[in-house]
Amino acid sequence: MAQVWRDVMAVLPATETEFPLVFSEVVEASVLTMLELSRKELYSSLNPSCIEKAQVIIDYSWEKLNTGTWRDVDKQWRRVYSYGCLFKVAAMCQGEASQDKVLDAIKTCDMGLIMGASIMDNILQRLMVVLKNKVKNPERLGDTEQPRPKKPRKEIILKPIINPALFVPRVRCPALESFRAEFLEPKVPVILEGTIDHWPAIREHIWSIEYLRAVAGCRTVPVELGSRYTDEEWSQKLLTVNEFIDRYIVGQGEEAATGYLAQHQLFDQVPELKGDICIPDYCCLGEGDEDDITINAWFGPGGTVSPLHQDPEQNFLAQVVGRKYIRLYSPEETEKLYPHESELLHNTSQVDVENPDVDQFPDFLKATYQECVLEPGDVLFIPKQHWHYVRSLELSFSVSFWWS
Amino acid sequence: MHWFGFGFNGFGQIEPQSKDAIRLLSPVKLDSLCVCAETFSRSDLSPEQKTESRKVVAGWSRVAVLHNTGERRCVCVHGAEGGVLVSESEGCEDAVLTERCLTLSFAHTVQCWKLHTNTRELVWSSEITRTGNTGNAPPLPLVPGGYIASKLPFFQPLSPHLQAMSLALGTEHAVLSTASGTVYTWGHGGHGQLGHGTLVSGDEPRAIEALWGVPMKSVAAGGWHSACISAGGDLYVWGWNESGQLGLPSKGLREARQREKQRIEKDKLEGSKMDESNSDVFISIQAFPALVDVSEASEINKVSCGSRHTAAITGIGDLYTWGWGHYGQLGHGSRCSSDEPQMVTFFSSGRMRVEDVVCGLWNTFVSAVPRDHVPS
Repeated sequence: MAQVWRDVMAVLPATETEFPLVFSEVVEASVLTMLELSRKELYSSLNPSCIEKAQVIIDYSWEKLNTGTWRDVDKQWRRVYSYGCLFKVAAMCQGEASQDKVLDAIKTCDMGLIMGASIMDNILQRLMVVLKNKVKNPERLGDTEQPRPKKPRKEIILKPIINPALFVPRVRCPALESFRAEFLEPKVPVILEGTIDHWPAIREHIWSIEYLRAVAGCRTVPVELGSRYTDEEWSQKLLTVNEFIDRYIVGQGEEAATGYLAQHQLFDQVPELKGDICIPDYCCLGEGDEDDITINAWFGPGGTVSPLHQDPEQNFLAQVVGRKYIRLYSPEETEKLYPHESELLHNTSQVDVENPDVDQFPDFLKATYQECVLEPGDVLFIPKQHWHYVRSLELSFSVSFWWS
Repeated sequence: MHWFGFGFNGFGQIEPQSKDAIRLLSPVKLDSLCVCAETFSRSDLSPEQKTESRKVVAGWSRVAVLHNTGERRCVCVHGAEGGVLVSESEGCEDAVLTERCLTLSFAHTVQCWKLHTNTRELVWSSEITRTGNTGNAPPLPLVPGGYIASKLPFFQPLSPHLQAMSLALGTEHAVLSTASGTVYTWGHGGHGQLGHGTLVSGDEPRAIEALWGVPMKSVAAGGWHSACISAGGDLYVWGWNESGQLGLPSKGLREARQREKQRIEKDKLEGSKMDESNSDVFISIQAFPALVDVSEASEINKVSCGSRHTAAITGIGDLYTWGWGHYGQLGHGSRCSSDEPQMVTFFSSGRMRVEDVVCGLWNTFVSAVPRDHVPS
């Protein structure tokens, strides 16, 4: 497996002097010293010592990434974190790189991609391409539970009873101008039909469990545990896509909690999957740049719930696999929705939408709403600030586009 | 009395000779290694005027030792640049060290020195006017009328009504105890480190109501956790328990341990479930103060917090540590983390009584005396 090391080094700059380490004042001199030592050891093939120093860099920047709120973390620390991951990955591949080591290197690379910032022309993504090619039989690796049951776990999913009077309107491929005039500007929710039929995810690369395993099985992703993020027991965990599928999608219910790969920018992490989707044309009606559109993946079994909440941007929620029940409330209803008082959750309602406590939240039933079941191929337009509640009715994969 | 250090040594700040040893898993004696001690012994001092390390303060990459040599007092900083005697520290009474700054307090001034590679720069200084009796001035970072933060503008005023006795600064929160033993906190609260039962932040000092009526004698603050000791010697902790730094069952830690175990015995344990013992009482964030049982034998005298670990001394002079241990900061001779307080046997089996403990971000410093010399 010496081949791994050679291919990894081919992605890195040829010499130590060509390897840039430039940071702003925010990064202390001691951290830069540690980065320089790690770099030196990488090019001197002192790999165990390089890995140790890379871990120091990862640990120190991890503490910075967890200091204050995520959006206030200086990007320099995300860059430092990425460099730590880069040094660790490169040094790990030195010498005899076994399959386990390659998989570990992929995990470390993913940590850099998830928590770090892009460095050196997206070198972690380029390393990932090299590493993924070294994984034997990619669709099977990372499996621990065997034999794997073939059918997705059976859920007892409550089917919603929908009042036709409250249906969200449906439109088939409206022209840009009519979408703007009838829905975007008056802030009216609508389901767009037929706008994603051309997506590879629906045509040639149908997003089956097997396909997702093959493309991203060994990739590490954040998974939410607990049926809703407002629950006391809610937590987040890093798992490979294979582990997530084994335990929470096709598992026989041995995991008590519901697992949900939710609100994760999977498409930046796994470009192959980004090739399977397209940004809706309607996004060009916004003022923002295409680069400013946030694309999130929402993949999980039946029974996942996103509590009633609002987002600060326009949203296209594209349903690729499975069905989801969705309830919408306009921002004018906010007072009847009892948002949480804490700054962290003030965009989230305290009410359990499908089982409201009317003693505690008496006005909730007076709030008017719309509802729908989103089918595969549907795209729901959720205007900015519109409150929405989402529950999956079966195995589901949705893609959301936040735009302005 | 001797000072010992263990844990992160990535800059040779504990043991310069073994710079390659990023982690020291067991305590190493500090003062014999201190170069500034030699500097002093070369001066005009008689051999009886031995250099003594009075106090140790630590950041991430550096350690500062406060020395007494006869009548002379000064500070020596150890780190990537080796041991450096801070000539401007002559006569200093107290010091605080962060990654960027060394704060020194003298009889009539406080100074903040920005630390650069091989140089330092005076970035802030202020006269102190102590009112009333000058006998027992509260220690740094407290100064008359306020405290010294690690960032500009350094001085932060505190209301005189608080009657602050001691103050501990965490990464982004502050824990203060008053003359009457009330504990106040402020700053970032996202991990429950303020102890008010919420994850809300607050800029103004607010008393922890849950501790009302239990007077506290000292406080400590870590990266995302806090601790205090009651007058009766009980230890209370609150905040983030990600690495077991609260001494309460940590799910993250148990799972990491399980993964490590599986990695070692991969084949045997394939598909096996996590050891779920006590699984129903895992604590991730403790937003109210919780009482921790450290030792059945004795009350707690001192506590100090690192970024993700905690160290405490019992009344009979035993040292206990818990939390993150990857750099050896727990002193148990391993890299293991622990969510239960464990005695550091190096001192007990060496017949030493631990007198003081100070945590750096990822390391721990301890002063100890031979037990036989302790007057009973």
